[in-house]
Formats: sequence, structure tokens, C-alpha cells
Amino acid sequence: MIDALRGAAALLVSKLVHFVTAPKRFVVMIQRAVHDVRTGERTVFDVGKSVFMTTLGVTMLLVLLFPLYWITAASFAEGTRLFNTGGIFPDPATYNLDAYRWVIFESDFFFVDGDWGYPQLLIGGGGLVPLSIDWIGTDTGPGALFNSLYLVSVTIVAGFAMIVPGAYAFSRRSFIARKRILYGYVLFTQIGAGLSIATLVALYSLFSAYGVTNNLFILGLFYAAGAIPFNTWLLKTYMDNIPVSYEEAAMVDGASFLQTIREIIIPLTKPGLAVILIFVWLAGWNEFIIAQTLLSPENYPLSVELYNLATEGRFQTPWTRFAAFANLFALPVAIVYFMAQRSVESGLSFGGMEG
Amino acid sequence: MATSTGTGSSSSPLSRIAAALPFTRRDWGILLVIPGVVLFSAFMLYPIFYLFYISLTDATFAGSVIGGGAELIGLDNYVQLLTDSQFWTSMSITWAFVAVSLVIKVFVAVGIALLLNHARVAGKRYMRAAAIVPLGFPAIFTITVWRGMFSDARFGVFNVMLDYYNTAITGLFGLVDVAVFFTAVAVPTFLLVELPVGFLSGRWSAFFAYVTTEVWLAYPFMVIIIVSALQDVPRELHEAAMVDGAGYLQRFRTVTLPAIKRPVLFAAILTGATSFQQFLIPWVFNQGGPARQNELIIVYGYREAISFNEFGLSAAILIVAIAFIGLFMYVAVRWGRLAEGVDE
Repeated sequence: MIDALRGAAALLVSKLVHFVTAPKRFVVMIQRAVHDVRTGERTVFDVGKSVFMTTLGVTMLLVLLFPLYWITAASFAEGTRLFNTGGIFPDPATYNLDAYRWVIFESDFFFVDGDWGYPQLLIGGGGLVPLSIDWIGTDTGPGALFNSLYLVSVTIVAGFAMIVPGAYAFSRRSFIARKRILYGYVLFTQIGAGLSIATLVALYSLFSAYGVTNNLFILGLFYAAGAIPFNTWLLKTYMDNIPVSYEEAAMVDGASFLQTIREIIIPLTKPGLAVILIFVWLAGWNEFIIAQTLLSPENYPLSVELYNLATEGRFQTPWTRFAAFANLFALPVAIVYFMAQRSVESGLSFGGMEG
Repeated sequence: MATSTGTGSSSSPLSRIAAALPFTRRDWGILLVIPGVVLFSAFMLYPIFYLFYISLTDATFAGSVIGGGAELIGLDNYVQLLTDSQFWTSMSITWAFVAVSLVIKVFVAVGIALLLNHARVAGKRYMRAAAIVPLGFPAIFTITVWRGMFSDARFGVFNVMLDYYNTAITGLFGLVDVAVFFTAVAVPTFLLVELPVGFLSGRWSAFFAYVTTEVWLAYPFMVIIIVSALQDVPRELHEAAMVDGAGYLQRFRTVTLPAIKRPVLFAAILTGATSFQQFLIPWVFNQGGPARQNELIIVYGYREAISFNEFGLSAAILIVAIAFIGLFMYVAVRWGRLAEGVDE
């Protein structure tokens, strides 16, 4: 665990260093171009063409990423009149963190109404596990973040318990109906969120019948179920690339089945496991409409709270506060995503792309 | 299918049962797969069958489905659907949405990919990393942000931009007016935009707001796929074409296009399928409005159940939608040859 954190930190630092030193490389590139023109290796026209194309690229990026600039700028513009009356480019001199203060100390993001408390472990009491957590110092209780985290934990634990053994079996064992199940999974890797929304009507009836509509645990299981086909298939293709000879060699040396899993399969599939961790996490963290339909307000996760904030009033949506809330909701996801970008990309475009 | 384990001569009843099962010791791997299949079936497949059952009843709300208040009425819901003008409105707007956004998506993504793979663009790698940034944000985040951009309010982002545009046009005509001093030049009103524009309260402006957002959501995925296809094109091919005197357009047609055709087609099917199932954009923007004119098929089905208490009809709509989604899935898997790995 500590190793993984240290590795992640090192990765982040190296990316940051690379990013910070980019201007220097840019200057070197310009110096080289100037030098080439002076010595007559490149004509001015030739350099001009490159400058034009690069400017075109940068302009295009600025247009494409404008919504992200806008939401970030807006989150820093709480209370400035510029943002309300002057336009869409708030003056950086007036940037402030008031909107974030509102999210942390007044909204339901961390604690309901921002009334912070701290957890206390209670031992004893009823239930399957004689442990429970009590919140001290808050009159209103934990907020949407904790609902989201609970949902995501259920999704991850249940998802991994199903996905990892399944992927291993698909990759290493041949058994009855293997092809048929795998083909079914492949079919279901190709669908978006639409299918689960389509089944929502049936789901709603079924959940009401069993009395589990307002149940975060069941909802977490549901997200895990939706994540199974894609991630099992992804992890299976990843495991396929690990040579079987490693396991055979370990078996010859007298390793038991569980030992080969622990010593060979798990360590070698770590990057694949990281990618499916991200995908399974996102399945629970991002979903909104099913959570909104099935849950009652006290159990709303962050995604539903975000939507409610955006649609509160037709004209008086508090965009600065919304922006701060949205950034706090999305940034952790985005950071993790970009740290693992390379592997995630290969996961997204896997299969069929070579053709 | 049943294969003997080779211990068929043993005569204990247990091993005789074992030999009769279509299952041998080699098959124990299925035990690792079954929990996942069961969970998936319970939450995904079973509801689809249940949905089909609801579509055959006259259920009006969740309680009547379970409480036994609903009766089987055969295919009446489907018949009613075919005569419902709202269904045809929804179907045509859904396919219009898929087609328009798909065409724009393909052109935008191919353009971006070509530019970010162009030999003359400096810092391509950084730009490519930046271009796919939207992929890293949750859909509910991006869609609510775009809703803010298209806000009907006077200070919504696009309204402010149109205000800039108006000022620019007026300024331009003012200059002409000063330069051509012997006639008075007025700004033609058709060049100006009346503000504020209610983007989400007009049918087609809302439709194009959907399309813009959908394109923005889907382009990173297509760019990733096209760029990786472009990078697989051998440099020698381009150089050989250049030596033969082919211009940029000619090289695009003879070298680049054949290389990216299949990946683009495949990505088009996949993102087309997601567009068909698009729910969040219309729902967050204006719930498929104005006046139910822009209800994409899933929104239509969802609203019939949740807002209008027509569970039976809603289930029929959604079954139709699922049939189309299934078609998309099948075509994608077949054309993408995705299932090749199954036989390994």
C-alpha cells in the first residue's frame, strides 16, 4: 500500500517536473529555429509554416478546452460583480476562494449543511458486525461525499470479487460454456449507460417489490454488476499476455495453486488491476440518474447533489458555487485518470483497433 | 458434450452421477466465473426480461406491477405505440441526433487528429494529452457545465459571446460609416442577434445545443483511436508518395484515408450507439423540451413511466430502444471483429 502511494507520488512528481520544464524546451526549440534560419538551413517561409500550424493547433485547443477554463474561472469568482455583469472572463485580480469555502462549510458536500464532525468507532450493538461508526460534533450528520464513498466501496469490493477470479478463469482455464459466456460479455462491453437507464423502469418495480429502493448497498451491487462484462474482458486480455510458462515453472518448483496466484498472477497483473480499479470506481462515482430515481434525498451521492445545484433555479443558478462544487467532485477523478492515462487509453481503445 | 473423466469403471453411485453430468474436473474454472454471471444476470438480464413482461401489461405505476393490479394485455402497448405521434417524434429526433452528431463528430475528430499528428506542429504530444482532457471528467459534470454555457440568461456564456459578436459587427459598420462619409451606412439588422437567445427553449437551438455537447463528449475517444491509426502508417509510405509528387490532399486520399477508414467506422458505430442511448444531455438541459419535442428515445421512455405513470407503455418504448441497442452491439462486435479473442 505504501509502495503504491510512493510510486504514485513519484509518477506525479516526474510528470510535474516534465510539465514545468516544458517552457525551457520550447525556448530551445525557438533558438534552434532562429539558428537554422541564420545559417540558411531553413527558409523563413518554412519556419513560418510551422509557426502557423502550431498556432492553429493551440487555438483549436483553447476553443476545445474553453468550458473547462470557464468552470474553473467561475469557481474563483464568487461575489465579484465582473462575473455577473461584465462577461465570461472574470478579472484574475478578484479571484477568491469564497465559493470553495461555501462548498466546504455550508453545502452538503462533506457534511449536511457543512456542520463538520469526526467519526468515532463504536464497539458492540446489534447487526452482523458488532462495529458501527458514530459521528461526533455534528448535528446534521455526514454529507453526500460519504454516500458516494460508501457506494463506490461496495462497487469496488463486489466488482473485484467477481471480476478478478472470472478474468483469471477465462484466461487460464477451459471449461464448459466458456466461449458462450465470453461472447455474451463482449456483446455487453459495447453498450453505454443507456441500457441500465432503459431497464430502470423494471428495476424500480423490482426494487420496490423487495423494498430496497433506498438502499446504497444494493445500488453499489448494481453498479458492480454493470461493470462486470467490460472489466472482466479487459483484465482477461491483460492476463492473456502473461506467459503461462511462468506459472508452469513455479508449479515445477513445487508452488501450490494459491502460491502461483499470489506470487505470479497478482504482481504481474498490477497495472491491469489499476486500470479496472479506475473504471469500476468511475462506474460508482459518476452515475446519476439511477441514484436519483431510487434513492431518497438523505442518501444522495455527490453526482445527484451536483445536478440539483445546477437545476435549482432557472435564472438564479449559483454558477460560482456550482463551479466550485463541480470542481471538487471532478478533480480527484481527473487527477487519478491522467496519472494512469496511458494505460487507461490502451484500455479504452483495446480490441479490434489494429484492423 | 459430456466427456468421461476416465474413471468410468468405478461403480460408486456418486461417480456415476459425476460421469453423467456434462461437467468434468477440468471444468472447475466455471465456478470462478459463475458469481459474476449471476450478479450480472440478476441486475442486468433479469430486469430486461421483466421489462418485457411489464410491456405486456397495463401497469400504470410501480405499485400496480407488483401489487397484482396489472393485467396482461398482450401487444396492446406496442400497437398503441405505433399510433402514438409522440413515439414517431421521438424516434425521428433520436435518429436525427445520431446522424447529425455522428457526421460532425467524424469531421471534427479527423480534423483534430490530423492537426495533432501534423509534422509541422510543435509540441504535438502535449497538445494530444490536452485535447483528450474532457475524457477525464464525469459526464454529469461536463453536461451540467455545458448547460451553464447554454444558459438562457443574459449573462450565460454563449449569450455573452453573441453580445461580443454584435459589438464587433456594429463596430465594423461604424468604421465603414466613417470611411464612406457621403452615405449613411446602417447595420443591417439581419446580421445582429437579438439577445438574450433562449437556447434551450427553442426546438432546433436546443437540438444543436445537444449536438454540440455530444460532439464535445465523444471527440476525445475518436481522436485517440484515429491518432493511433495514423501513427501506424509507415513514414515510408508518405515519403514515397511525396517523391511521386503527390500533394497533401492526394496523400490524404491515397495514404491516410485507407489507413483510418476502418478505425473511424468502428468508432462511429460505437459512438453512434452511445448517441442513440443519450439520456443525460436532454434530461439535464431541458428534460427533452420544449413541449416534448426533443425527447430522445430513452428520455421518452423514462418520462412516460416516472412523470406520466404509464409503466406498461414506457416498458414497450424501452424494449424497442433495447432492440436497437442490441442491433448496434451486434454490428459493433461483428464489424470490429471484437470477439476474435474469444477463441484464444
